[in-house]
Amino acid sequence: MFLTRSEYDRGVNTFSPEGRLFQVEYAIEAIKLGSTAVGIQTSQGVVLAVEKRATSTLLEPSSIEKILEIDAHLGCAMSGLTADSRTMIDHARVEAQNHWFTYNERIKVESVTQAVCDLALRFGESANSEEALMSRPFGVALLIAGIDEKGPQLFHTDPSGTFMRYDAKAIGSGSEGAQSELQEQYHKSLTLEEAKVLSLKVLKQVMEEKLSSTNVQIAVVVPITDDFTNKKKGGFSFLTEAECQAVIDQLA
Amino acid sequence: MQMYEEQKSSCPVKVPVECRFSPYTDNGGTTLAIAGDDFCVIAGDTRQSEGYSINSRYAPKVYQLSNGSVLATGGMYADGVTLVKMIEQRLEWYRHAHDKQMSSGALAQMLSTILYHKRMFPYYVWNTLGGLDEDGKGAVYSYDPVGSYEKQKWNCSGSAGHLIQPFLDNQIGFTHQKEKAPLTLERVVQVTKDAFTSATERDIYTGDNLEMFLVTQNGIEKTRVELKKD
Amino acid sequence: MLDLSFLPSGRGGAVTDLPDDQDDAQTFAMDAAAFSHPSFVLPSVADPVAWMKHQMSDAAENRIKMAKGTTTLAFKFKDGIIVAVDSRATGGTYIASQSVKKIIEINPYLLGTMAGGAADCSYWERELGRRCRVYELRNKERISVAAASKLLSNMVYAYKGMGLSMGTMVVGWDKTGPALFYVDSDGQRLKGDLFSVGSGSTFAYGVLDSGYHCNLSIEEAIDLGRRSIYHATFRDAASGGSVLIYHVRQDGWQVISRTDVTELHYQYAEEPRPSLL
Repeated sequence: MFLTRSEYDRGVNTFSPEGRLFQVEYAIEAIKLGSTAVGIQTSQGVVLAVEKRATSTLLEPSSIEKILEIDAHLGCAMSGLTADSRTMIDHARVEAQNHWFTYNERIKVESVTQAVCDLALRFGESANSEEALMSRPFGVALLIAGIDEKGPQLFHTDPSGTFMRYDAKAIGSGSEGAQSELQEQYHKSLTLEEAKVLSLKVLKQVMEEKLSSTNVQIAVVVPITDDFTNKKKGGFSFLTEAECQAVIDQLA
Repeated sequence: MQMYEEQKSSCPVKVPVECRFSPYTDNGGTTLAIAGDDFCVIAGDTRQSEGYSINSRYAPKVYQLSNGSVLATGGMYADGVTLVKMIEQRLEWYRHAHDKQMSSGALAQMLSTILYHKRMFPYYVWNTLGGLDEDGKGAVYSYDPVGSYEKQKWNCSGSAGHLIQPFLDNQIGFTHQKEKAPLTLERVVQVTKDAFTSATERDIYTGDNLEMFLVTQNGIEKTRVELKKD
Repeated sequence: MLDLSFLPSGRGGAVTDLPDDQDDAQTFAMDAAAFSHPSFVLPSVADPVAWMKHQMSDAAENRIKMAKGTTTLAFKFKDGIIVAVDSRATGGTYIASQSVKKIIEINPYLLGTMAGGAADCSYWERELGRRCRVYELRNKERISVAAASKLLSNMVYAYKGMGLSMGTMVVGWDKTGPALFYVDSDGQRLKGDLFSVGSGSTFAYGVLDSGYHCNLSIEEAIDLGRRSIYHATFRDAASGGSVLIYHVRQDGWQVISRTDVTELHYQYAEEPRPSLL
């Protein structure tokens, strides 16, 4: 890569003669420095699991946020530059609410993913009244999990604005090992419980630290049911530390 | 439609003439929609008038939309046409963006926001939206010009709205009555025809033709019945 | 003339922050980072506000009538808040609907009432619902009723003098307990224990004030709310239909009842009259 780099990585909007946008490719590289995140789709719902890499023993683990709620039926796990992800996830949240405002329905998982990816190329100089958000590409990959009329779905987005749907996907520093493990272990009839265990099993293999209920976080998105009151059940939720521990206990 | 109010005076002295922007006109006509358990009937007459002049005997103001809903527009004809064009555009954008047909409930909410965004310069249109909801049940939504809407079982608006609505309350809703007849498609069609033939006798802006859209699970059937042309 | 300079100017009087070919075809584009106020299409006249006022007045050749006329009330008591409303919408002397839902469910623990322009209330309270939800996602905590009502009052204040008509009560339960605020389109925002809004409010107040105290039981409170609305529908021609009642508790709101006023009329008629001596 560095052989052909030449000067074509100086501008964010200049193609190399081979047709590559180096800054975007570097941004994709940046994610490989991030903590590992795993997403698994099952017929019962989607599991998101992340490692929380504590850089210091003095760090408060609960302040690390790698999984976020986008809406009641949508969750998101990230890897890469946390600060960049905030812009994207806030956009996703506003987009989801705007969709509800106009159409009185929950936005589709693919639509919210598309909305986030629309931001991805808004760097460099602004063109035709579309204001540029950033001077460089976002250094974030997202795993967007959600449920809509098409059932549980998992999407992966990268800094180039490309998004693809996966049955199971790993991002971040341990993604290569994790992905091949998922490849081996995944099957269509996986239950949600099995997927939770699998996600931690995969994380455990690629994590440097010993896996515990404080350095991983799990969230699920399951179908939303109305129980004929104003309270809705299901949707996006985090596993509590105790629930997380229960999954860890099944690993052995 | 009068764009400028001319000063009619024999006074030779020139005085300032007030020119007010008056973009609205009421083209009359009546629209109606009735929802049944598994069907919906949306109807409107086809007369278009201005003052005491009849502009057209067949200017339909009930539109079948591309998502399978039917929109009846009353009030100003031109605004209705514009609004329907806009809605069609939004329906197509939605299809491309979300890879699905917009549901009648989503359209109902969208129409409300479209109307409200012209809150300071409204579309002079009284809309009634009919179709089947996500469960296949008949649904009617009625609107004011700035987007206030309500899901109803039956509604009639427009120039003879005040004549027909109480009749529907009685014959479709059986409000404040002990006995209620079952609401079949045949009965709804008959009540609709009766309502319009009678309204034609009492409202100068209603007449010529009655156009009805019968929405069922099997699709939309459009029928036309002649009304008096006096 | 009002200063409309805060509105971005656009082609042909169409105020928009969108590309030219999309103006009113798009819903307002909302900046993800900042909550901009939605923009509206304006007529190409020197004074859009005066123009719109004329279109809605009796003098207009083709008058735009907005659904109006209402009685709504809400009061705090020891077990939460009772919200009661009628269901009539009138356009002039015509009863446009007897089944309007004048209690707007902003979200599972916030309610808004509807008085004034029906479209103004439902649009802005929907916008409030959207903002409250985004607030909740950003802050991982429900918005307080005080903050929510202030959001609403700030939103409509931005359009002050432009003809919005809204008199609403924002009701809910937050960390501070039950909370009740009155917000209107003039920009007024009041915190209180008891409010009634609309053309029938004076009649409702009459009944409400005579029976109100903080220690009412839930049943008594519901009955008081219902009676107050009923009596308002009896004396105010612009109010009627049925009485809708909600109860706001710590775990959110609950629908209590929807009763046709005819039923209440005969029910109350059979009761013994209180002696005033």
